[in-house]
Amino acid sequence: MDSTLPVAAIVGIGLGVFLQKGRFCFVNAFRDFFAYKDTRVTKGVLTAIILTMVFWGLTYQLGYHQELWTPKWGMTGLIGGFVFGVGMTYAGGCASGTLYRAGEGYLQFWLTLLFMGGGYASFTAIFPTLQSTYFAPLTIDNGVSLFAISPIPAGFLAVLIAGAVVLVYAALTGSKAANNGSPERATTKTGLLTVIAPITGLQTFVSDTRTYLRGLVHALRTPVASSKRPWDPRSAALGITAVAVLWFVQVSIVGITGPEARWTGYLISQVGINAASFEYWGSILFQGQGIGITADMVMIGFVIIGSFLASLWSGDFSLRIPKRRRLPNAVGGGFLMGAGSRLAPGCNIGNIYSGIAELSIHSFIASVGIIVGVYVMTHWIYREVGCAI
Amino acid sequence: MPSIDDVTNTPDELSEKEADTLLEEADLVQDMRGEVCPYPQVEAKKGLQTLSAGELLVQETDHVPSTENVPKAVENDAEASVWRGSDAIDRIYLRKR
Repeated sequence: MDSTLPVAAIVGIGLGVFLQKGRFCFVNAFRDFFAYKDTRVTKGVLTAIILTMVFWGLTYQLGYHQELWTPKWGMTGLIGGFVFGVGMTYAGGCASGTLYRAGEGYLQFWLTLLFMGGGYASFTAIFPTLQSTYFAPLTIDNGVSLFAISPIPAGFLAVLIAGAVVLVYAALTGSKAANNGSPERATTKTGLLTVIAPITGLQTFVSDTRTYLRGLVHALRTPVASSKRPWDPRSAALGITAVAVLWFVQVSIVGITGPEARWTGYLISQVGINAASFEYWGSILFQGQGIGITADMVMIGFVIIGSFLASLWSGDFSLRIPKRRRLPNAVGGGFLMGAGSRLAPGCNIGNIYSGIAELSIHSFIASVGIIVGVYVMTHWIYREVGCAI
Repeated sequence: MPSIDDVTNTPDELSEKEADTLLEEADLVQDMRGEVCPYPQVEAKKGLQTLSAGELLVQETDHVPSTENVPKAVENDAEASVWRGSDAIDRIYLRKR
C-alpha cells in the first residue's frame, strides 16, 4: 500500500480541486435539468463519463489497468440507487459533492457525512438479515463489465459508444433547434427533419466545442487569474479524467462511498468496538485483511483537502453555518445516501461515473435507479413552484 | 439612486454603499446564507410569486453555485444581476418581469 500513497494523495487532491473548481455536482446535473432544463453541469458530467470511458477502455485493452468493480447485478441496483438518489437530492449534495463542500467549509455537509456514517453502520448491523431477505432474492447474476465480455476490443468499443452518444446528443439538440419557434413543426415532424437533425446537432456540437476550446486557450494566457475564477464543468471533466486514468492504472476505479463505509468501520474500531466481527466490514469491505487504512480511504480524505486548498486559493472558503430548518436534510439525506449506497451498492461516482465508464452491467441499472430517485425527489421539492419536466 | 442595471460581478464597479442602497430599496430580502441548492431557487420562485412586475427581490447567499443557478431558474420570471461581495457573501438582485 505504501507505494500507492503518493498516488492516493495526487488523485485525491486532484479530484478535490477539479470538483470544487468546476462546481461538479451530480445532483445539480440531473435536478436542474429536470427542474428547468439547465444542462450546463449535465454536459460536464457527460463529458467526464465519456472521456473516462474511452481512456479506461484503451488502458484496459492494453492491459495497464488494475481491477474492475463489477458487483452482482439485479433489482438491488434499482432499489438501492433509488434510495440513494432520493437521499442525495434531499441532502443537496451527492457523495462527491458532500466531500468537496465539506472542504469548502459547509458545516451542513460535515453533518451529512456523519449521518452517511450512520447509514453505513445501520446497514452493516442488519446485513446478515438483508443477505437472505434482500440481496439473495433480488440478485439476478454475477456482475460483469462489457470491457471483459465484448468480442470487440475494449478501447474500440468505448470509442464506438462515445461516438453513438455524441450522435444521439446531436440528434436531440438538432431536433430541438429545428422545433424552436414553430410549435406546428414539432407535431408534423417530417422524415427529412429527422435525418437533418443529427447533422445540425453535430454542427452545434462542433461549434460549441470550438468556442469552449477557444475560451480554454484564452484562459490559459492568464493562468493565475483564471485559476481563481470558477471553471467550466467541462474543464473540470478533463482534469477528473486525467486523475481517474492514473487511479485506474495504479489502483482501481474511483469510488467514494465504499471507502467511506470502510472509514466508518475503522473509526468505530478506534472507539473499542470490534468492527471486524461484523460480517460486512470484516469479510466484505476489508476482505478479511483486518480493519486498517487502505489506499482508497486515504484518497477520499485528500479530496476534502484538495477542495479546501482550491477554495482557499479562489477566495471561496468560508465557514458556512446551516440554518436550523435544513438539519433534516443533512440527517435524513445523509442517512439515505449511506444506506442506499450500500443497498445498491455504489454511489453516483461508483455507478454513474466509474461504473458507466467501465461499462459494468450493475452500474447501468443502479444509475437508472439513482436518476429516477433524483427525478421523484426534485418534483417533491419543487412541488409548490413547478418543474419543467 | 442606483438601479439594478448598475449591478456587476465586480464589487469595484458598484460600491458597497450603492449595493446597500439597492438592498434597502428591495421589496423582499431573502437571507439565504448557509442554504444550499435547490432551496435558494425554490425560495426565489416562491418570493417572486408574491411580488408584482417591476418589484425587486434580493437574496443574500454564501453558496456560490446559487449565483449561477438562481438567475437561471427564474430567467422567465425575473431579470437577474449578481453582485459579488468582498466578504464571501454575494447578492442576487431579481427584478420581477
